[in-house]
Amino acid sequence: MSKILRVLSVMLCIILVLSLSACGSKSKDTTSGNTDNNQQSQQTEDKKEENQNKGPVKLKLLTISSDESRQRIMDEYIKPNVGKVLPHVEIEYEGTANVADKMKVYNSSGDLPDVWYSGADFALPIINAGNQLDLEPYMKEDGYLEKFKIKDALYFRGKIYAISSGADAYFNPRIFYHKDIFASNNIEVPTTFDEFVEVCKKLVNAGIQPIATPGKGGWAPGFFLLQNMIMIEDPEVAQQIVDNKTDFANPVIKNAADRIVQLAKIGAFGQGAANLDYGPAKELFVQNKAAMYMMMTWELPDLEANVPDLDFFLWPKASDKFDPNKVVQYWGSPLAGYAVYSKSANLEDAIKLAEFCCEQDALFFESTGSLISFNTGNQMAELKPIQKKNVEHFENTTTRIATYHLNALDTKCATEHSNLGANLMTGDYSAEQFVEDFNKVWLENTWFD
Amino acid sequence: MNKYFSTKTSIFIFAFPGLLLFTAFVIFPLIPELIISLQNHDGFASSGYVGIKNYIDVFQSSMFWKSNRNTIIIVLMSTLITLPFSFILALLLDTQTSGVRRFFKASSVFPAVLSVTVIAQMWVAIYEPQWGLLNSVLRAVGLESWTREWLTDKNTVVFAIGTAFLWQYIGFNMLLFYTGLKSIPRTYYEAALIDGAGPVKCTIKITIPLLQDVIKYLLVISVLGSMAMFAHVEVMTLGGPGGIARTIVYQLYYTAFMTSEFGKGCAYAVIFVIECLIITLIINRFVARERIEY
Repeated sequence: MSKILRVLSVMLCIILVLSLSACGSKSKDTTSGNTDNNQQSQQTEDKKEENQNKGPVKLKLLTISSDESRQRIMDEYIKPNVGKVLPHVEIEYEGTANVADKMKVYNSSGDLPDVWYSGADFALPIINAGNQLDLEPYMKEDGYLEKFKIKDALYFRGKIYAISSGADAYFNPRIFYHKDIFASNNIEVPTTFDEFVEVCKKLVNAGIQPIATPGKGGWAPGFFLLQNMIMIEDPEVAQQIVDNKTDFANPVIKNAADRIVQLAKIGAFGQGAANLDYGPAKELFVQNKAAMYMMMTWELPDLEANVPDLDFFLWPKASDKFDPNKVVQYWGSPLAGYAVYSKSANLEDAIKLAEFCCEQDALFFESTGSLISFNTGNQMAELKPIQKKNVEHFENTTTRIATYHLNALDTKCATEHSNLGANLMTGDYSAEQFVEDFNKVWLENTWFD
Repeated sequence: MNKYFSTKTSIFIFAFPGLLLFTAFVIFPLIPELIISLQNHDGFASSGYVGIKNYIDVFQSSMFWKSNRNTIIIVLMSTLITLPFSFILALLLDTQTSGVRRFFKASSVFPAVLSVTVIAQMWVAIYEPQWGLLNSVLRAVGLESWTREWLTDKNTVVFAIGTAFLWQYIGFNMLLFYTGLKSIPRTYYEAALIDGAGPVKCTIKITIPLLQDVIKYLLVISVLGSMAMFAHVEVMTLGGPGGIARTIVYQLYYTAFMTSEFGKGCAYAVIFVIECLIITLIINRFVARERIEY
């Protein structure tokens, strides 16, 4: 009996050891810093020679499929056209709304996709592990870098880790509204925050939900609401956050949080706003159930097509330090876009694929009337009136402040920023409490390390 | 034949494949989890061992206690409300005609086999504060003051999510109780009736004791299932607002995947495994230890 027990124990141990080796990372050095590009290029050349004799090159592409635009880029632009540019490449496509989690799973197996859609919220650990390629030398060599009108927007710490069409840099948050609802309730467009509060109160009294904006998971407060509430009092403070020159104990930030609480308390966001998803928030506005819609301008082409009485107004100011005609928040981060696995077996083709995907992004956004940094060589289509108004305003601004959520907060900090931001929209969570809770997290922020 | 199959050697040989699979897919994954829980790990790479710091951080975190409290609320709802309710439904079903029984036996499994996302979205619609079914009914019957923002109010959100979760399995639990009821010989009830026992006494003295194995099984899967509740929280509120609706497993996910504190997330996982083991041992120790026969 004891003999059998011993045999069984040995067999179980063997299985465990085999499992350990099978599930272990393929990567020998995932914790080291950035690997030398020349060394990688040499390795790639060797691997390329090996692969040339093995038939078509196989690449894995992981893209973001979180919204309709992203799905259309993949289905109508990338998939039908990639064969024309990279005929020798066979691509395994994978789409996900949550690239960050997928990348963690891939990373733990040491087998990252050749190309993926990077995001500012999860890129840093991949870069620090030496897995995200610095594309600058390759883009300089093949002349791709010259296609970008705003090159500075691509750089993070002096390197290019992701490439995007640059449409992001032209997206900004607006307050869209129904002209008919405003007119039928004798409401003028507010220019100050106090007027804005009065407008909300008037709409609440008329039984109309004043504002629709997605609060679930802290989407709106995380990405633009709190930042704009800061900017309308003092844009310099928002810039200081991006530059790591202030903390969240700054009284302007407390005032900004307090403005969200104030709006929540008067019912400006409607009932259950802190749990309102992205899609339903948009539907509330499109179906005339909310008078205003706080959202980024990537929704503008769709709104203009579906909302006949659409217009937008600029963020109402809370002090004279803010000139709505001159200051704007812009979306985007140099870490958002197509990235390449630095240890890809087919590095050259992977880079070409990333460049191709970026170009398809540009063609798509160009077709929707969005401004892009990437020069496609095409003539820009005629813009619809409100899109034109938006572009004209954007081009006349003199102070453009990056979204601090994407450009100043590490993963933990960004998550907690959204999480606590959602709390503000309940109206039961004070601005003081927000500052106390979030400033602790901010002080441990590793983004600037 | 029995001589060969009842030896310990034979038992080991037959148990070995199962043991092997259990080891490879259950025991083995715990080992790297335990190792990572001792590291400062962001989900992409480790920056070294930190001893038990992750565990200390977890125990010092207010969210650990809040998420445990939320989990306990759901476990209590499951054991004190859902199981007795399922049992009563099974008793009622037993009194129905065969046609009615067939209908309810089939329909009771329906919620359990539906996707969690479908169920959760359905309940999100029910709880919607402005046009949702619940508030609409309350308004219609003149209970306007009872209406709530069910999924954003800190006093109701956990109960609201717990209700959606437990509703999904009431029918399934009822079916298991009903199957147990059918295995009790009718002669016991006939004898009890002759002795003058009423339906309540029959249930207490005959049905419940003879269903102890079913009760124990349901208790274990309900408690552990409630403890591991995740998907409903994710779909209905993303654990929010502000994390007020997180369960222990959601907190584990949030820490490991949302804030990229993978080491700490693994510490949560290890603590969760220990909690589950303790609860299972308690149930095994105190519930239905001896076989009852009449």
